[in-house]
Amino acid sequence: MRRRRWSVGTWTAYAIALVATVISLFPLYWLFVISTKTPREAFETPPQFIYIPDFSKYFEVWNSAGFADAYINSIQVVLLGVGLTLLVATPAAYAIIRFKVRGVRYLRFWLLLAYTTPEFLFVIPMYVLYQQLGVYDTVAGLAVIYQVFAIPFAVWLIQSFLGEVPKELGDSARVDGCSELQTLLKVYLPLAAPGLAATAILVGINMWNEVTIALSLTFDEARTVQIAVAGYRGYAAIRWQEMTAAAVMAVVPMIIFAGIAQRYIVKGLTFGAVK
Amino acid sequence: MTLRARTRLRRGDRGSRFLVPAVVILGLTSIYPTLYSIYMSFFDWNWGLRFNFVGLANYVELATSERFRTALWNTIVFTVSAVSVEFVLGLGLALVMTRVRVGQGMLRTLLLVPLMVSGIIVSVIWKVMLDPTLGVLSYGLQLLGLPRLGFLGDPAMAMGTIVLLDTWWQTAFVFIVLSAAVQALPVEPFEAAEMDGANSWQRFRFLTLPLLKPAILVVLMFRTVDCLKVFAIIYGTTGGGPLTTTESVQILAYRQAFKALDMSGSMTTMVVFSAFALLVLAFYQRLLPSEGEAT
Repeated sequence: MRRRRWSVGTWTAYAIALVATVISLFPLYWLFVISTKTPREAFETPPQFIYIPDFSKYFEVWNSAGFADAYINSIQVVLLGVGLTLLVATPAAYAIIRFKVRGVRYLRFWLLLAYTTPEFLFVIPMYVLYQQLGVYDTVAGLAVIYQVFAIPFAVWLIQSFLGEVPKELGDSARVDGCSELQTLLKVYLPLAAPGLAATAILVGINMWNEVTIALSLTFDEARTVQIAVAGYRGYAAIRWQEMTAAAVMAVVPMIIFAGIAQRYIVKGLTFGAVK
Repeated sequence: MTLRARTRLRRGDRGSRFLVPAVVILGLTSIYPTLYSIYMSFFDWNWGLRFNFVGLANYVELATSERFRTALWNTIVFTVSAVSVEFVLGLGLALVMTRVRVGQGMLRTLLLVPLMVSGIIVSVIWKVMLDPTLGVLSYGLQLLGLPRLGFLGDPAMAMGTIVLLDTWWQTAFVFIVLSAAVQALPVEPFEAAEMDGANSWQRFRFLTLPLLKPAILVVLMFRTVDCLKVFAIIYGTTGGGPLTTTESVQILAYRQAFKALDMSGSMTTMVVFSAFALLVLAFYQRLLPSEGEAT
C-alpha cells in the first residue's frame, strides 16, 4: 500500500518535471525550426516536424545590415566589461570578507540599490554625459555603464566564493610577510578560480543579453547583437526566417556557455540570490 | 586604545583601499546620474535650446498625468501577477523535483535554459509562436477546438500575454534558488512530524514554508525589483500597446525621452518611479532577517 502510493507520487513528479522541461525547451526548438524553413513551409498546417533544414538565411543575415559588426561589438563589450568587473569587484569582495571596514553595511545597501534602480534613471543622464564626452555609441562607454549592475552582482558572487577559502590560510600568508594584495593574489585567487570563472560567465551572459541600456546608448557604431535582432522584428510579418535566424545566432553561444559552466551556474545563481 | 583595537583599525583602513575602484565606478554610474536626474527634474529641457528652471512644475504635471498613472498601474499589475505566478510554479517545481531521482541534474540544467535568453529573443520567440494566424500555438488552440486568440494584439489579453512571456522566461530563477534551499532543509523535523502524524499539507504549511522563509523573501525581492524594471519584453513585442494597455513606466520614460524629446519630463518620471522602487526594496529589507541573524 505504502510502496504503491510512493510510486504514484514519483510517477507524477516525473510527469510534471517532463512537462516543465518540454514547455521550457519547445519555444527555443520552434525558433530554430522557423529559422530553417522557407516561409511557405513555416506556416503549413499541420506543421511539418520532419523537413530538410534550410540554413541559407543564416549566411544572408550574417552578411547583411551590419549583423556581424553588431556581433563583434557584443563580444568586445562583454570582454571589456567582464574584465573591468572582475578587476574592480574582486578587491571589493576581498575587503568585505577579510576586513572590518567601517560602513560596509552602507556599501552593501548601495550595491543593492544600484542593482535595483530602474535603468532609465541612469540612462538619460549618461546619454547626455556620453554625448558631451564623445563616448556615446562606443563599446567602451557601454562597458563602463554596465558596471552598475555587474559590480553588485559580481561582488555578491565573489565574496561567497572567497569566503569559502579558510581564513587561516590568509592569516599565515600575512605572517610569512605577504602584503594583503599578495595574499589576495597568491592565496585566495588560485583557490577561488573556478568561482571567478563562474562569475565571469554569468556577468558575461548578463551583458550579452542586455537590451535597455544598449538601446539608449548606442546608435550604429557600437550597436549590440540584441539591438540588431530587435531591428528585424519590425518586419516580423514578412521576414520571419531572417529574424529567427538572427535570434538563434544570438542565443546559441549563451546556451553553450551555460552548458559548459552549468555546475557553477547553479551555484552562482543561488549564491548571488541568497547572499 | 588596546593594541588589538589599533591593529584592527589599521587593517580596516588598509581594507578600504580595496574598495576604492568599486566606489569610484559605482559613483560614476549610479550616484552621478541619480543626482543629475533629480537636478534636471526641476527644469524644462527638450534636448535643445529650451532650458528653463520650472521648480516643481514637472512633478505637478506628473501627479496629474493620466498616462503616468496608467503606466504605474500597468507596472504594478504586471509585477504582482508575474511574481505570484512564477513563485507558485517555481516553488511547486522545486518541491516536485525532490522526488525525481534519476536524471535530476540534467532536468535541472535543461529547465535553466530560458534564463540564458535575452528579453529581445523572448519577444521574437513568442511573437512567432503567438501570431494569431500563423503561430504554432494558435494552431494548437485550433486543434483543441478553441477560437483564435489575439494575444499581444488584443487590448484585453496583451498584459496577460506579457505575464505569460515573463513566466516562461524567469520561473527557472525562482525554481533554482528555492530548489537549493529545499535541498538544504534539515531532515529531522520532517521525520518527527511524520511520526507525530502530520499529513503532507501540515508538513508543508508548518515546516517547509517557515523554514524556507528567508530564501522565499530573497527570491521575491529579486523578482519584484526585476519586474518593476520591465522593459525589453514589452519593447520587443507590443511596444506598450495596443493603446497604452501594456505601457510600463520604463517604456513611458523611453518614449518621453527618445520619441518626444521631453528629457526633463522623462527624468521626473524616473525619479518618482525610482523612489517607489526604493520603497518596495525597503519593505523587503524590513522583512528579511538582519545581517547578524542570517546564516
